Amino acid sequence: MYRAREGQWAFALHRISGLLILLYLLIHVVSISLVLFGANAFTVLHDIYGFWLFRVGLIAVTGGVLYHGFNGLRVAIMDFTGWGTAVQRQLWYGVLAISLIGLLITAWVVVPRILAGH
Amino acid sequence: MIRARRYQDARAQARSNPELAWWVFMRVSGVVLIFLVLGHIYMTFLLTSELQASYSVVVNQLAQPVWKIYDWLMLTLAMLHGVNGARYSIDDYVQKVSRRVWTKTLVYGLAALIYVLGTMGLFIISKAMLAG
Repeated sequence: MYRAREGQWAFALHRISGLLILLYLLIHVVSISLVLFGANAFTVLHDIYGFWLFRVGLIAVTGGVLYHGFNGLRVAIMDFTGWGTAVQRQLWYGVLAISLIGLLITAWVVVPRILAGH
Repeated sequence: MIRARRYQDARAQARSNPELAWWVFMRVSGVVLIFLVLGHIYMTFLLTSELQASYSVVVNQLAQPVWKIYDWLMLTLAMLHGVNGARYSIDDYVQKVSRRVWTKTLVYGLAALIYVLGTMGLFIISKAMLAG
């Protein structure tokens, strides 16, 4: 069976997280821009986003942004330094650790709010 | 898309100057976006609940020039970075030429429309909108 190395997982996750963040960005900008169409238009959608599943989704978006951002930094380090490629595998595990810790901290802050409904 | 490990390789591989400029842009804008986007998430999602972002809160915030500039810079860089990333993906995965053209037209068109909407929103919003 073919087994991908870390670099390929890093690349695939970078693509997927990037495309999902772009999708979120487009929806997010439209939602906030509803302010232009008055308080009612904005509030109708704002209330829908209060549903717990959307709020959990925002935690996932935060995790995706952390991964994409820090893995992007890893790519830039590989591109612009002489030592980056030699430690890219270690850097990737660092990226995963930062993303996971950031995701857990976000969940730690946001999940109680979701459970309490505020 | 340039597949290079070093700037020197990228320069050698680039088919055109714009392609090399995009390669550099993705890295530079990416580093700037780490600060802008993580700062944005921290301020609007962690320090405060996103449920607090009601109409009046959003208008009050975006009526201030400093947040207009912050958000517009973030919006501009994120749109260019995101759409160029989508272009790399489309070039890689959409093989049929006619379908590729349509996919790009759709993605670029939608992103441009939403960028104009977001930009207009940022610069039109004022506290006067709370009076009525």
